[in-house]
Amino acid sequence: MKRRTFVRNSVVVSGGLLIAPSILAQSTKKSSSAKLTILHTNDTHSNIDPFPENHSKYPGKGGVARRFELIEKIRREEEHVLLLDAGDIFQGTPYFNKFGGILEMKLMTEMGYDVATMGNHDFDGGLEGFVKAREFAKFPFVCSNYNFTNTPIEGHTQDYTIIQKGKIKVGIFGVGVEMKGLVPDIKYGETEYIDPIDVANDRAAELKKKGCDLIICLSHLGYEYSSEKVSDRVLAQKTKNIHLIIGGHTHTFLEKPTEEINLNGDTVLVNQVGWAGINVGRIDFEFDQKMFAKKDVIVVE
Amino acid sequence: MLKFGIIILCGAGLLACSSVNTLSVKNEQVSITKEYAKENRIDSIVSPYRTELNKEMLEVIAHAPKNFERGKPNGSLNNWSTDAIYSSVKGKIDNDKPSFCLLNWGGLRNSINEGDVTLGDIFKLMPFDNEIVIVEMPIHSLIKMEAYLKERNGEPIGAAYIKNDKLQFKKVTRKKHESFLVVTSDYLMNGGDHMDFFQDKINVTYPGLLMRDAMIQVAKEQKNLIWSDEQRIQFEP
Repeated sequence: MKRRTFVRNSVVVSGGLLIAPSILAQSTKKSSSAKLTILHTNDTHSNIDPFPENHSKYPGKGGVARRFELIEKIRREEEHVLLLDAGDIFQGTPYFNKFGGILEMKLMTEMGYDVATMGNHDFDGGLEGFVKAREFAKFPFVCSNYNFTNTPIEGHTQDYTIIQKGKIKVGIFGVGVEMKGLVPDIKYGETEYIDPIDVANDRAAELKKKGCDLIICLSHLGYEYSSEKVSDRVLAQKTKNIHLIIGGHTHTFLEKPTEEINLNGDTVLVNQVGWAGINVGRIDFEFDQKMFAKKDVIVVE
Repeated sequence: MLKFGIIILCGAGLLACSSVNTLSVKNEQVSITKEYAKENRIDSIVSPYRTELNKEMLEVIAHAPKNFERGKPNGSLNNWSTDAIYSSVKGKIDNDKPSFCLLNWGGLRNSINEGDVTLGDIFKLMPFDNEIVIVEMPIHSLIKMEAYLKERNGEPIGAAYIKNDKLQFKKVTRKKHESFLVVTSDYLMNGGDHMDFFQDKINVTYPGLLMRDAMIQVAKEQKNLIWSDEQRIQFEP
C-alpha cells in the first residue's frame, strides 16, 4: 500500500477525465469532505483479458488491466473509495479451467478490492476449490445467508464487515442465490441456504445499531424475475435500513441504479453492471455535515 | 425529526442543491474500453499465466462462416451445440427409440464469432466440466418437458422440433413407444436449471465424454462450422 500513499501525496491529477464535468468539479479532495465513492463489479466470470476485436457483442471491451487503470485514476481523484464485487468471479474463460480461480483472486487483491460476496459459480470448483483460490484473496467475502458450518469454507467468509472511510462508517453484508437446481449438489455439499430477506433485515438492523451511516448489501440474487423468486428488487422492497444493493447473477446492464421503496418508505438504490467486467459501476455518495441522522426519511428530489 | 434525502443525479449537468441532512448520489456506469489500455502491474501478474494458457488455447480448430448466437426460443448456437452433442454420441443411441438432444440456453456461455475458432473459444462456450448422458425417459414425461419448454420460452433442442407446443422427434415418431431417449448433460439430468422432469428417468447411459470435448471434436471434424437458423421451436401464442 506504499504506492497509494505516494500517490496521495503527489499532485492531484486533473484533466482528461472520463467522468462528467459536474462530478469532476467536486472531485478535488477536501480533507473534511464526507464523500464516498463506490466502485463495483459483478459476474466478471474469469474475464481477465479484454474481449477480442471480432467479438460479436462486446468487441475490445473489458479487461482487468484496463479496469485497474480506471480504478487507480479514480483513487487519485477521490479520497474515499470502496471497491466491491457481487460474485461470480469464477468460470467463463480457460483461466478458470486451468488455474482454478487463483489468478482471479490475485488480481482482485492487486486491484485493491475491499469486499466481495460469493456467486453460484464461485462454487464451481467445489468448496475446497474455493478455499484454495481464496487463500490468494486478501479481502473479506461476506456471505450472510449461507451457513457453511462443517464445510471446508467454514471460517473463510464472514457475516458482514464494517469499514470506516473518513467520517463515514460503512456496513456491508452479502446474500447469495439458492443453489438447488443451479449448482450441482456435490459442489456445495452441506452448505445451507437461508432466506435472504430475513437475513438481510437482521444484518441491516445490526449494522444500523452499530452506527453505520451507509449500509450496503452485496447480492447475487439477480435483478428481477417474472416468477416469485426473490430478487434484488423484491429484497429492496421487503427490507429496511439498506441504502444500496449491488447486485449480480442476471447479468443485467442497468443504465442507472433503480430506486425502490423499502418497508419504511425509504429509497433503496439497486445497481448492477452486466457481466465480464465490461462496465464498472460508480456511485458517489456525498454526505452533508449532519449526515448521522437517526431516522432516515428519504426524500428523492 | 431529521430529514435525510437522496438526490439522484445521473450523468452530467446538475449540481444537487443540498439542504441539511442531504445525502446526494451521483452515478455512472463506466465502460471499460481501450481508453484505459496502459501497461501496468496487472499485466506482469497475468503474463506468465497467459503464456501458459495461450500455448493451448490459441490453436485454431475450425472456421465460423458467421456469428453463432444463442437465442430464445431459437438460435444458431442452440442448433450447432445440440447437433454437435447429439452427433457425438450417435453410435451409442438406440435407434429403435425416439431420441433428441436437450441443452440449456443458460449453459451456452459465449457466442462463436465469425472467423477463426480457437480451442479457447470452445472453452468459453462450454467452460463447465459437464458430461454427456443419454437418459431414458417414460413417454408420459413428455408432457412435463413440453410444459417446461413452453414456460421457459424454449431451450436448445436437436434432432427434434416443437410444433403446436408438442415435441416431434425427427427420426422415430413417439407413437407406440413407452420410452424415449434424451441426450443431455449430467448437470441438467441432476436437476440443473430446474429440469425436475428428469427425476422420472428409467435408465442412464454414460458415454464417458465431456460436453466440451465433444464440441471440440465436432468443430475439428466440421472444419467450417455448420451454421443454421432453423426455427426448431414454434410455440402457440
